[in-house]
Amino acid sequence: MILPFDLIIQIFVVICAVAAITVKDLLSAVMILGAYSFFMCLMWAQMGAVDVAFTEASVSAGIGTILCIAAIMKTTRRTKD
Amino acid sequence: MRFISFIVTVLTGALLIYGTVDMPNWGDPNSPASKHVSPRYITKTEIETATPNMVTSVLADYRGYDTLGETTVIFTAGMSCILLLRRRKKKKAR
Amino acid sequence: MLEFIVSKYNFWIYIILMMIGFYAMIAKRNLVKKIIGMNIFQTAIILFFISTAYKTGGATLPILLDPHGHGHGAAESAVAVSQYINPLPHVLMLTAIVVMVATLGVALAIVIMIYRKYGTLNEDEIIKAMK
Repeated sequence: MILPFDLIIQIFVVICAVAAITVKDLLSAVMILGAYSFFMCLMWAQMGAVDVAFTEASVSAGIGTILCIAAIMKTTRRTKD
Repeated sequence: MRFISFIVTVLTGALLIYGTVDMPNWGDPNSPASKHVSPRYITKTEIETATPNMVTSVLADYRGYDTLGETTVIFTAGMSCILLLRRRKKKKAR
Repeated sequence: MLEFIVSKYNFWIYIILMMIGFYAMIAKRNLVKKIIGMNIFQTAIILFFISTAYKTGGATLPILLDPHGHGHGAAESAVAVSQYINPLPHVLMLTAIVVMVATLGVALAIVIMIYRKYGTLNEDEIIKAMK
C-alpha cells in the first residue's frame, strides 16, 4: 500500500460522495455515483481484494448505474434538493 | 428539520470514531480478524481443495451453502421486480 | 500522537463516508437521493470490512504463488500465513455486493410504482397526497 496514492483516492471518494448527494439533477447524481463506484473499485484493487474489485466494477458500477438510469428515464430527473 | 438530522449524523459519527480507539491498527497482521479461522483456509486450501485461488475455494467449497443462499436472494429480488413492474391488464377493464 | 493518527485515519475516512450516506438517507426529500445514500452507506460498510483483511508487511494477494508445489509431502506443506492476505472477508463481501445490487433493483422498482401512482418523487408531496 502506497500511502500518498491511498490518501488521494480516499479524498476523491469523499468528494464524489458529497457531490452525488448535493447535485440538483438526478441523472448527474447517478453518473457521479458510477464514478464513485469506480474509485471504490480502484481502492479495493490496491488494497489486495482483486475479486471484490472485479465484482464491484462489473456489478455495481455497471448494472447498478444502468438500473438507476432506467428508473430515472421512467420517472423524472427534476428534484428540489 | 435538516439541522436536527445534521446534529444526529454528527453525534453518530463521533460515537463511531470513539469506537475506533479500541480497534487494532489498520493492517495489523496480528489482529483478531486474521487469527481465528483464516490461517486454516490459507494453509489447507492446497491440500483439501487443490485450488490455487483461496477466494474461490472458500466461496465454492468451504462456504458453498452461503453462495446458495445468495442465489436465492437474487432469485427473490428478480421475481419481486417482475411482479412489481408488470402491467396489469385488468386495470383497463375496470 | 502522530503514530496514532497514521494507524487510524483510514477508519475515520470510512466513517465520514458512512455518515454522508446516513445524512442523505434521513435528510434528503427525494426518493432517488435516499437510494443513492443507501448505496453509499452499504459501500462504506463493505469498504470497512475489506480493510480488516489487509495485512502490512509484505503480504500478497490470496492466490498461491507456487501451485502444486505444496502438499506432496506432509513435511513441505507449510504455507506461511503472514505471506497472504486474509481471504475470508473478501468472500463475505462478494456476497454482500451482489445483495446490494439486488436491494437497489427492488428499491428502484418500488420507486417506479410510487411515481406511477402519485406522479412525484418528493416525499412531502407523497405524504400530503396520501392523507
